[in-house]
Amino acid sequence: MEITFKLYATLSQYLPAGSVNHSINIKISDSDTAFSLLDKFNVPRESAHLVLLNGVYVNPEDRDKPHFIKDGDTLAIWPPVAGG
Amino acid sequence: MNDEQLLRYSRQMMLPEIDAEGQQRLTDARVLIIGLGGLGSPSSMYLASAGVGHLVLVDFDKVDLSNLQRQIIHSTPDIGRPKTESARETLKTLNPEIKITTIDHALDEKELLEQARLADVIIDASDNFRTRFAINKASVESKTPLVSGAAIRFEGQISVFDPRNDESPCYRCLYNDDVATQETCTANGVIAPLLGIIGSIQANEAMKLIMNIGETLNGKLMLLDVMHMEWNQARLGKDPKCPVCNHF
Repeated sequence: MEITFKLYATLSQYLPAGSVNHSINIKISDSDTAFSLLDKFNVPRESAHLVLLNGVYVNPEDRDKPHFIKDGDTLAIWPPVAGG
Repeated sequence: MNDEQLLRYSRQMMLPEIDAEGQQRLTDARVLIIGLGGLGSPSSMYLASAGVGHLVLVDFDKVDLSNLQRQIIHSTPDIGRPKTESARETLKTLNPEIKITTIDHALDEKELLEQARLADVIIDASDNFRTRFAINKASVESKTPLVSGAAIRFEGQISVFDPRNDESPCYRCLYNDDVATQETCTANGVIAPLLGIIGSIQANEAMKLIMNIGETLNGKLMLLDVMHMEWNQARLGKDPKCPVCNHF
């Protein structure tokens, strides 16, 4: 199945060549999870705190759950921000 | 309200959603602002100029030359002064009508809860997760709405956590203790106008909460990347296992 994978802000450096506007369409297997995709792109898990699936925040316990991501989904990741 | 006050606030009072009733709510309101840096500067200045009756300013820090690129409430002659003093002066110049209380030390848990209980809205303009978790706990325990803003480098986030609503998530539902980063603007840098954008939205959300108008960011997280000028909005749910908002 194919999904849109987006890495925002400082995480965009981990996107492969061919990505446009933080975004790339990738083919994934049914067993892939948010965490396995982060690992595939060498994104440190601690830098990827805000995981959004189709614009909805994904709770930490669901980030390694297989079959959570469906064909056509958009998975977007943002780094944590606390400065002010 | 006298003629001068009517004139001062006329451009917002002419908005039917605000009118005299909204202005009176602002006048009667007390807002706790924690942090008088890049976010606390614009948010407190907008709240003061809009006529929020009582601002409680909390910051233990002194003004440093390196602050002035972004902390627009402070000026060059303020270097070395407590930020609370410098901020009070700027805000009093902007609007002598309002009351300002300053606290120039870090609040312990008990003091923070006490201040949260007295406030109508809390603005989190702090710069680290530890303080943010403490503020969130006080907000949840006192059931005082929290307007949370954060910014670093070219990225910003804003949300509202309203514990008066049982379905509302809290800041701890969004971030947990596993957040390893302790990145600060001091160590990582930040572009100044981003703080102005996020801080201004915090003030706007606080005013809406006080006046009970419009729709706030409660249950939503706004994410902004100013390098690519992209706004994103995420829906936040309550974490059923949250150790904070499920406890109180």
